[in-house]
Amino acid sequence: MTDWKRSRPFAHAAFRAVAAAILVWAPAAHGAGPELLLQPGESPLITLRIVFRAGAASDLAGKEGAAALTAAMLSGGGSRQMSYDDIIDAFFPMAAGVSAQVDKEMTVFAGTTHAENLDAYYEILRQMLLDPGWRKDDFDRLKDKALNYLRVRLRGNNEEELGKEYLYLKIYGDHPYGHQNSGTVRSVEAMTIENVKTFYEANYRRGNLTIGLAGGYPADFPQRVRKDFEILEDGASEEIALPKPETPDKLRVHIIEKDTRSTLISLGFPIEVTRGHPDWPALKLAQSYFGQHRSSKSRLYQRIREIRGMNYGDYAYIEYFPRGMFLMQPESNLARRQQIFQIWIRPVVPENGLFALKTALYELDKLVREGIPEKDFAATVEFLRKYVNLLTQTQSSALGYALDDAYYGLPDFNGWIKQQLIGLTADAVNRAVTKHLWATDLDVVIITKDAQAMRRMLQTGARAKPMYASPPPDDILAEDKVIGGYKLDIGSIAIVPAEMVFEAVRSR
Amino acid sequence: MKFHKAAVPACAAFILAASCGTDTADAPPIFPYAHEIHDFENGLRLVVVHSGYPNIVSLYVVVNVGSRNEVEPGRSGFAHLFEHMMFRGTEKNPPDAWQAVMEAAGASTNAYTSDDRTVYHATFSKEDLERILELEADRFQNLKYSEEAFKTETRAVLSEYNKNFSNPFRKLDEGIRDAVFTTHTYKHTTMGFIEDVENMPTMYDYGLQFFGRYYRPEYTTIIVAGDVDFDAARAMIEKHWGQWERGGYRADIPVEPPQSESKRVELDFQAPTLPLLAVSFLGPAYDDESIDSAVMDVISFHFFGESSDLYKKLVIEEQKVDAVMPSYPDHRDPYPFSVIARIKDEADIDYVEGQILETFKRVRNTPIPADELDAVKSHLRYQFSLAMDSTEAIAETLAHYLSLRRTPQTINKRYSLYASVTPDDIQAAARKYFVDSARTISVLTHRTDKKGNSDD
Repeated sequence: MTDWKRSRPFAHAAFRAVAAAILVWAPAAHGAGPELLLQPGESPLITLRIVFRAGAASDLAGKEGAAALTAAMLSGGGSRQMSYDDIIDAFFPMAAGVSAQVDKEMTVFAGTTHAENLDAYYEILRQMLLDPGWRKDDFDRLKDKALNYLRVRLRGNNEEELGKEYLYLKIYGDHPYGHQNSGTVRSVEAMTIENVKTFYEANYRRGNLTIGLAGGYPADFPQRVRKDFEILEDGASEEIALPKPETPDKLRVHIIEKDTRSTLISLGFPIEVTRGHPDWPALKLAQSYFGQHRSSKSRLYQRIREIRGMNYGDYAYIEYFPRGMFLMQPESNLARRQQIFQIWIRPVVPENGLFALKTALYELDKLVREGIPEKDFAATVEFLRKYVNLLTQTQSSALGYALDDAYYGLPDFNGWIKQQLIGLTADAVNRAVTKHLWATDLDVVIITKDAQAMRRMLQTGARAKPMYASPPPDDILAEDKVIGGYKLDIGSIAIVPAEMVFEAVRSR
Repeated sequence: MKFHKAAVPACAAFILAASCGTDTADAPPIFPYAHEIHDFENGLRLVVVHSGYPNIVSLYVVVNVGSRNEVEPGRSGFAHLFEHMMFRGTEKNPPDAWQAVMEAAGASTNAYTSDDRTVYHATFSKEDLERILELEADRFQNLKYSEEAFKTETRAVLSEYNKNFSNPFRKLDEGIRDAVFTTHTYKHTTMGFIEDVENMPTMYDYGLQFFGRYYRPEYTTIIVAGDVDFDAARAMIEKHWGQWERGGYRADIPVEPPQSESKRVELDFQAPTLPLLAVSFLGPAYDDESIDSAVMDVISFHFFGESSDLYKKLVIEEQKVDAVMPSYPDHRDPYPFSVIARIKDEADIDYVEGQILETFKRVRNTPIPADELDAVKSHLRYQFSLAMDSTEAIAETLAHYLSLRRTPQTINKRYSLYASVTPDDIQAAARKYFVDSARTISVLTHRTDKKGNSDD
């Protein structure tokens, strides 16, 4: 017997997330209101994403972390009229809040509210961003939180993010991208509330601002928001000059010494390709084939995890992707003018550390020399063509991508990438790979317990032999010998104890 | 200016109706999506949901097996290991063939295991639904892997354990469970005891037995959510999953006896960390009929959440604590209700403990004002609605509830219970569960000084 139980739709569930036409109101003239990016729809949920084109790259020397602490003061502190206590009380029944995300070039404040609460919600958000309270007790609390993030949460409690963030530090050195977004322990310790206010005045300006709105907001809402944000100072902050980051000569190895059960590896180098660059679609395809985030389909995952069972996953990136251990898809509004190519090897047992590093470089070298096999090229095109739809599944992510499109000067990411995939050839991908990727001159970050032993192995050019629970097939064992003897051309090796990482700004 | 809670449109429209003293029977249900349930003869259940979002489909296969089922000594962590094995292919579809289909569909796929369930999920374009249902049906019925592949995968699982090792909350979770439970399988985490994880390579034969016991239609609920036709989905499942043979195994899950005296656990974390403090009491199992577990959720938000007096005192005003949070996830059997604080200075541990215990006393002795109770109910309903922002999110939420009660109606029943909670219910539940003799306090600190040396 089969038993059908039917439940009928209810009126308010009939909404659809309409793929809305995007309407951008550019400033009409100097002195006009901020730019708006609108994605009207019928959803009862209304999303706001308020993007300032300024971030950690705008931190002044010695004030590293000012951008992050400023955003934290706005999203996690009181307004002039309301204490943070009051704000929490007011948001609680709406289950709403304001989040802040700070990267090198962008700061975004985001929130979603039910349409029923829009007026009350927006009024609080307006006060928080445009009429901040700058209270000392909020400042002390949020400064403490930033310090604990660096000292304890990153150094002590999240080894994977520690390695990835340290790689960026080492690649960028004294470049404006060369400090962790939260700053350094010393710079944050020295930060004053005046520093934060100065950052706000210099960077929270109309010319830096794009306001994104999505969902079923009232017709007059955009104008109201635009008018409110006209209170910010006119003009834009000066664009920070970015020098070309230096590519190291040979392998530059940085070992973080830490009491851990595993060995973790991140490696990479700067690339000139960002979204919108003519080679970006080709490089994106190569990256997806080689190391699609959290996917078992990719080459690195297959060779290191699937066949050899050495760890939990292995991925590659051409754009900054923080918090990857918690996310299946990247967050938006992390747009940058410069990016790196990166490989992330998830924890392996210490005995397999050297072998895992060699495998990653061997595979990267192979990718550069031999390119992508034709069948894998076709499969990856097919994958990406559909997969991009998943990136903009939620109203908030669709709005975020549209804001990034505005930054990169793209029409619409989803349509653009599909269009680009149509004309793409394996040859073009391989040309882009040869031009932009290599396996020789790069930074390597290794987190491990016995740093001296790792250094000795690297210095003596030791062969690497993997340890297995069960021996793999003969062809893999034969390849192991080749990988084990793969020569690493090492330029330098430095060891740093985990408790010194992010302590202060230092050059390479 | 004090911002008054009344400024929020407290009873504006549908969503709050149930929490505003109106007849709850007339309130629209919190789970508003059109759905159908179909039971197949072999015990398999299908739930099809129209999410209202176009083009995308999410397929969630929920198997009612988790670490809760790991009743045999030495087998902890096996449900999770087995989740990994499910990606090792069949004769018809070896791993690379499975992968090729998912890749061609542009699918985002993954799986996870918890105490109560194992969930396999994929989100993709609607035109690929049948091909993927066929593929998934094959591995659930015909999984086949070699002993070598099994051993290889056990090492990936060990690496997963190791990667989690640097998170002190994991260690705290292990400590709380180990202390609170004497008998029930919630004593171990989903990852399992480390000695069992290390011993996994020897368990190939047990893996075959495990598959035969639990990967059966009567343990499984399939969710197809998104832009999907009810009848077409049912016919596809019938075709590909209809022949799956029913099993007959039932694990005998031991019942946790009441705790008779308070406990205290000291945990040493290997790396520098802020001290963590947890105060735990064994709370009731998830229920949509009797009110206790719903009441405990209300308590957790009101007395220990971000808007609580305790949070404001410890985090915002005194700034002795970096974060304080309640933890009481829905479970099939009784599970700890914990309040966890991350304390900035070890010297304040006793003080913070005192404040938390004082708050538990207040829950028992002081009735909650009506407007504050309404705010919690409002929060719960908006929180639910705001989370339903994609087909995948709707399917993910359903997977959680279907592993508890196998029908979406449990969500509506549960939210009706929230709406009916009274101040008396709160005091009654507090007096029943927050008893001193049933209390467990866990403290995690970094005791040893382990310094490296630098030549950077």
